[in-house]
Amino acid sequence: MSSNNVYLIASSMVRVGRYFSKSYKDLVVDVVNELFSSVGSIDIDYLIISNVFSDSILEQLDISTILTQELGLTPKPALRVETGESSGLTAITQGYSLIKSGIADTVLVVGVEKCSEFPTPTMNKHFIKFSDYEVESIYGLSVVNEAALLMKIYMRRYGYSREDLSSWSVKMHSNALKNPYAQLRFLISKEQVVRSQVISDPIRLLDMYPVGDGASAVLLSSKEGIVNNEALEVVDIAQATSQPLNLREDLLSLPATKIVFNKLLSRSKLDLNDLVIEVHDSFSILGYLILEELGLVEKGKAPSIIDDLDNVNLSGGLKARGHPIGATGVYQVAEVFKIMTTGLGDIKRDSCWGLIHSMSAVDNNSVGILVRRCSC
Amino acid sequence: MRLSIPRFWRKRFDYYSVRISECLDCGRKFYPRRSICPYCRSRNVKVVTSRGVGEVLTYTVSYYRLEGYEEVIPKVIALIKLVEGPVLIGELVDVDISEVREGLKVEAVLRRLKSEDPAGLIYYGIKFRPIVG
Amino acid sequence: MSKGLSVGIVGWGAYIPRYRIKALDIASLWGFDPQLVKSLNIEEKAVANVDEDATTMGWYAARSAIIRAGIDVNEIGAIFVGTESKPYAVKPSATIIADALNLPNKKLASDLEFACRAAGEAIRISLGLVSSGMVKYSLVVGSDTAQANPGDVLELTAASGAAAYVIGPKEGSVAYFEGYYTFISDTPDFWRRDGSPYPLHGEIFTDEPAYFTHIVNAVKGLMREYSFKPEDFDYVVFHQPNGRFPLKVGLELGFTEAKILPGLLNPWIGNTYNAAALIGLARVLEESRPGQRILLATFGSGAGSDAFSLVVTDEVKSKVDKAVKVMDMLRNKVYIDYGRYVKFRKLLVRV
Repeated sequence: MSSNNVYLIASSMVRVGRYFSKSYKDLVVDVVNELFSSVGSIDIDYLIISNVFSDSILEQLDISTILTQELGLTPKPALRVETGESSGLTAITQGYSLIKSGIADTVLVVGVEKCSEFPTPTMNKHFIKFSDYEVESIYGLSVVNEAALLMKIYMRRYGYSREDLSSWSVKMHSNALKNPYAQLRFLISKEQVVRSQVISDPIRLLDMYPVGDGASAVLLSSKEGIVNNEALEVVDIAQATSQPLNLREDLLSLPATKIVFNKLLSRSKLDLNDLVIEVHDSFSILGYLILEELGLVEKGKAPSIIDDLDNVNLSGGLKARGHPIGATGVYQVAEVFKIMTTGLGDIKRDSCWGLIHSMSAVDNNSVGILVRRCSC
Repeated sequence: MRLSIPRFWRKRFDYYSVRISECLDCGRKFYPRRSICPYCRSRNVKVVTSRGVGEVLTYTVSYYRLEGYEEVIPKVIALIKLVEGPVLIGELVDVDISEVREGLKVEAVLRRLKSEDPAGLIYYGIKFRPIVG
Repeated sequence: MSKGLSVGIVGWGAYIPRYRIKALDIASLWGFDPQLVKSLNIEEKAVANVDEDATTMGWYAARSAIIRAGIDVNEIGAIFVGTESKPYAVKPSATIIADALNLPNKKLASDLEFACRAAGEAIRISLGLVSSGMVKYSLVVGSDTAQANPGDVLELTAASGAAAYVIGPKEGSVAYFEGYYTFISDTPDFWRRDGSPYPLHGEIFTDEPAYFTHIVNAVKGLMREYSFKPEDFDYVVFHQPNGRFPLKVGLELGFTEAKILPGLLNPWIGNTYNAAALIGLARVLEESRPGQRILLATFGSGAGSDAFSLVVTDEVKSKVDKAVKVMDMLRNKVYIDYGRYVKFRKLLVRV
């Protein structure tokens, strides 16, 4: 049986983008082939697929079996995980649990999403499904509207102008320039953010994630040294849910995210400035709120530190790396793995610790994992 | 026929008026109506029909293009505090963008939420509009 | 004088959508002579928003009527919706409005169709139901998002609006019915075939053989049966397809302009079909004094007219401010251009 430890031993991904000529199967085959070519042939015990819209877009249920067949991995057991936008990180926690419990020694986690199969209004119909259909989505309310309401409250409470809140997007695009897997690899200015198309005032196009396809894979194992790569240990995982926005005491709080951070950070005295951090910035306002909830900066001050931030969303975040919904959490982990080991393109950090955060909608279902370089 | 009949029909009273819950144990009132209090998990909860009157706390003008909702773009979406206390997110209608403001007094009105096609079902539900007079 | 009726209006409510389009804008788009607009005495018409229909507008008016009535809704034994723009050809609007207002399941409910006078007929039916004791209260709704073929002269006036009345015992009513008279005949002045999006009409044939003949016969019938003279009435409210016909028919029947004008709203809201005369009546109730006598005459193509005589009671004053007033809704307006009108009324084809 296994040890109690869980290691992250390899990762792979394709650049987030619009793959009109590739199916979801093609993308998955690409990343799994790349993963196995980097580590050699390893026997896995379980395949976990993170995917949100398989039945909405791909007309496919039991997608994990279909992919197991496509990958020639039968008769390995497989399952699909879905917790909205945080599915990818939830999938990692499920892989962690399988190993931790001794059910599996090696788990392949693959995140995949095809978001460019339909035109925008149709995709948006699916994107609003993260909210309660019977209470919100039936009225045509979407997460972008909730984020817009929060952004207005934030601007009013702390006295920010619209332009003040553009720094996040500028920074993310700057980071993404160095990430070979990022969807938006170009610089933008604050002025471009403020002048971009209004989606839900004050949120503009350049405040939100782009629509893209993606696939990413990570290999989790109970053994640290089965491949030549340096490995990361998954030290802890945390997950929490919260009531919808309108039932929260303070609209600018992220109660589930707070619980996740408290749990992950309580076990060790970690220097937040020395961590490699990836957070779920589907909308720039959420990026600020997450950093404040993390305690990296006091409430209301996040926009003022963004320009100097050099350890958060080095990938470019959801804003610029992209947000292939069910695959996103797996991307975050795959990227942190590379940043802390072989390098993500030219992005490399010697930090001992990495913190990855994901959430669905505005903090509905939030997940975090804490990783440590094995050599530390 | 893409719109479900029973899914809407069984909840029509929730869509035709603003129904909130009052927890008889902790005293909190909340929207949407539920049988379990989200604050104290009490099942000792009663349903109350709100007067449907409230005020705008904040709002956003949405240009988000959504299949099935194309007719109402741009759309004003507001965080509304009901006079009974609960807060909800709702759509504001019959108001020009230049007229929306925080503190605007609004009332619940019955409107079409969506219909699938000229031959299909129509979903009716509550939206909000400024109080007239 | 009365035929033993002991029935009155217990509560009333009206609804006028917020948006207006100028008749001259429509006229200039389709090349109508501005003189035509002037001769029809029409300034502008009310346009329902894109998410409104006869059901939603009727709901609003009915809610105000119930609030003014101040009654237990469980005592409402009937609901009738008079409309010629039913959102569903088959499926009653009455049941939607009733459930949305939490009316009891034990009641009569029907949508009635008789062009613009179905709601007038619903009032007559309600007189029978209430006076016979079959129901305590009956809710009558007249609501229309009137259709007009784009470019047809009808488009200058076809408008959206609703009115609702709770009919109940004379005791406690704001106005009680003294008499009624209905006159109908097979006169095809205006019709809409099943499946056709717009009605067709006989132009000038809608005038003398239809509107005038039926209203004159109904009103004269009422005056004859109950021995009324024109001087007995303080207000007269007619169906109002345009701003000219009601004045013409009123003067012809011997009423002064001063008695017609308070209930004549067509110049500012257009022809709201089943709600046209009934919004006029609401406006009159809101400014009337106890003891005043009102003549209401509906008209529906096809064709028929109901004439009613009503006397205002002391109760009216306490009810006026309990819900939104017609004058408030007349003032609460935003002008739209033909483009937004087309969008609101879904006159273009989207796929």
